[in-house]
Amino acid sequence: MADKRAFRCDHCGIDILESDLISVEVNQKTRHFCCHGCHGAYLIITGAGLDDFYTKRTWAEPGVPAFVFESEYTDDYLAKFITHQGPQAELLLLVEGIRCATCVWLIEKILKKTPGIHDARLNFATHRLKIVFEPATISASSVIQQISRIGYASRPYSWDAAQQIKDQAHKALLIRFGTAAFFSLQLMGYSLALYAGYFQGIDPQTRTIIQVLAWAVTTPVVFFSGYPFLHGAVASLRNKTPNMDTLVSLGVLTAYFYSIVALFRHDEVFFDTAAMIVTLILLGRLLESSAKNKASSGVDRLLKLTPETATRFNDDRSLSRIATAELVPGDLILVKPGERVPVDSIIRSGQTELDEAIVSGESLPVARSQGMNVLAGAFNLLAAVELEVSRAADDSFVARISRLVEEAQSRQAPVQRLADRIAVIFVPIVSICALLTVFFWGVFNAAPWSTALLNGVSVLVVACPCALGLATPISVLVATGTAASKGILFRGGDIIESAAHSTLVAFDKTGTLTSGHPDVQKIHPARGNSAALLQLAAQLEGASTHPLAKGIIREARRKGIAIQPSLAEVVPGKGLMLQSDQGFIRAGNRKFLLENGVDLSAPPVSEYTEVHIAVDTDYRGTIYLSDTIRDGAGETIAELKRIGIPSIMLTGDSPGAAQRIATALALDYESQMTPEEKSQWITDRITQGEKIVMVGDGLNDAPALGAATVGCAMAGGTDIAMETADIALTRPEPRKVLEAIVIAKQTLQIIHQNLFWAFFYNLLMIPLAISGALEPIYAAAAMALSSVCVVCNSLRLSKIDQANSV
Amino acid sequence: MQSSTVILIILSLFIGAAAWLIFIWTVSKGHFDDIEGPKYRMLDDDDDH
Repeated sequence: MADKRAFRCDHCGIDILESDLISVEVNQKTRHFCCHGCHGAYLIITGAGLDDFYTKRTWAEPGVPAFVFESEYTDDYLAKFITHQGPQAELLLLVEGIRCATCVWLIEKILKKTPGIHDARLNFATHRLKIVFEPATISASSVIQQISRIGYASRPYSWDAAQQIKDQAHKALLIRFGTAAFFSLQLMGYSLALYAGYFQGIDPQTRTIIQVLAWAVTTPVVFFSGYPFLHGAVASLRNKTPNMDTLVSLGVLTAYFYSIVALFRHDEVFFDTAAMIVTLILLGRLLESSAKNKASSGVDRLLKLTPETATRFNDDRSLSRIATAELVPGDLILVKPGERVPVDSIIRSGQTELDEAIVSGESLPVARSQGMNVLAGAFNLLAAVELEVSRAADDSFVARISRLVEEAQSRQAPVQRLADRIAVIFVPIVSICALLTVFFWGVFNAAPWSTALLNGVSVLVVACPCALGLATPISVLVATGTAASKGILFRGGDIIESAAHSTLVAFDKTGTLTSGHPDVQKIHPARGNSAALLQLAAQLEGASTHPLAKGIIREARRKGIAIQPSLAEVVPGKGLMLQSDQGFIRAGNRKFLLENGVDLSAPPVSEYTEVHIAVDTDYRGTIYLSDTIRDGAGETIAELKRIGIPSIMLTGDSPGAAQRIATALALDYESQMTPEEKSQWITDRITQGEKIVMVGDGLNDAPALGAATVGCAMAGGTDIAMETADIALTRPEPRKVLEAIVIAKQTLQIIHQNLFWAFFYNLLMIPLAISGALEPIYAAAAMALSSVCVVCNSLRLSKIDQANSV
Repeated sequence: MQSSTVILIILSLFIGAAAWLIFIWTVSKGHFDDIEGPKYRMLDDDDDH
């Protein structure tokens, strides 16, 4: 069977094409590898006696980070990231490719076994690696090389001022929450005693003692843990725009001070209300902060797509290695196969094929010859070429994109959260109610001022916002957790609200709606059957790593055709040629065959990529390939339309290719768009009032993801897209986009219901408080009930199912 | 109220405060920086220790 012939790489786990297969005898067993890098990694790992890695690891996704085995750093560049302490030095790295705890174990073990490295500690949560080493024994670049040799990409990580501030803020939040939790725990015991005392009777002296204790433990919660709210409230008063902080502070402070007064008047206290609001809201903020912290700065990684060094021709045609940053327009450089183009340049001599997927999103390699422009970051697949630098590194395509991303992100107006919008109306209304109550009792009823004031304050206490304050954070908390378990990561509560309001979903084509690699769609033999034609083509295509060749090989293997190692010759930009006993077999594009005197009868079909096959001048047939649409893409778009959200496809690809996908999926499209145009298109639509969710995966989508109301990145593309996105999908399934929007919509619905309950209780209690007829225990019960309602209602979000989508 | 109850309450307050101080100390020492890794690291059979 053909399937049994498929090999899997023993290191990285991906399926191997026969053309790439490397079989090696290791410890009397035949092992298969997809590349020499994986072979090397396997030897290092087994050589160190760490075979356990292969049995223990639990990788959800196979493969190693792209170009990990080729990446390298120079010591000059690394110098600024090293901190020296006597003979020892410390280096912080960010490691890519970690998928399970065994990866952490492996990297630490390998490094600790390396002479000159004293300690290596890898943080599983943040993927930060701290290495203590002796620069005299081992250089920083060889440390990094050691990690990339076993299949993990790492880059120096500058713990810069901005990141330090972020880390410290997170730690401070953790301490504030911890403090609130510990004291609230103590407080709960006292409150229990007080409630029991209310119903069963309690000796007044005991009650006062317990109340004083409750006061003692509440004070740090309100003034230390609650400091961020109080601080925010003061700021909001200065701006004259009440927000969530104002609401929370108002509730907490009135409950707290009312209780102190009540304590001295030997009345019931509400210290637990104050402490609980602070604790629960802090918990929400803490979880949100952890989600945000995982997104490290993406923009600096963008620049890493271009190599650090370049090979330059000196005046006497000798070669020297220099830093990419030092290249100036006019310099002549050499880029060998397997290297990335360091800066935008023009080909001076030679021709080759370049993989520009990472910069343009174009799925197929493009042939480039003398006089043509090449972009920084493109990967050279075939032959060495001599390039003339046309732009300096700071000005190259990749650098421009990273600037676009930064601009798009800074341009975005912050979303005003629902809770903040409510606070703007609610805070003044409640304050006026309280003032009117004082006025009413003091002036009209001629009650003593103390009673009037107390009634006014009790309006504030019951009006405020245990439930109102919890309505949003609790829902967001539960929704983010549910979404995460489905492989959807929301980077904050505001994102959920924006996603719920989306009016248009813009999809990138390659890699998002389609799988990003071509598959055989149609086989058109000139005569005979299609299997024979496929077999003929497969004889040649094994020699190439071109995606079209891989597509044909995949199809051949699926049909059970045995694939021989091929000796065919690659003709850049044209196709393949093999001298066999039948004659010259050629497989390639139209131009290639016409040049060789083949009479082509097949009409060109614009939406497919064609591979024509001929033996000598005898035309044998054509294989049509195209990018396949991902599973579920059609249903997702139909379902989105059903819930009232139209979709559009924005692609850099040709109109023909775009048309084919768009027709199949029944959606509108815009083709031949540059990253700038995509971003501009989205900005224009947003100014027209649309709320756009942009779904993309590549570097070329990054600016558009930043510009969109909600940027949604799909796994499998570049990390930069993941890091600039508001929503990250951990599996490349279009269906997840729909799920994310459904979860967001349901969350918003639950938030609305929560707000209704919170207001409902307010509506009942405020008139009672104004009339001065509010028994304290009813107030406490109402507050507890409304909070329970809100919490229970929010918990329903954990049971979101696809079945009951909006 | 019995004085023994008061003593117990005060005692619990001190124990709580001690736990709180320990918590603050652990946060500042970075014990909460990686809350995923240690549970696996614990299970490694370390031969070089």
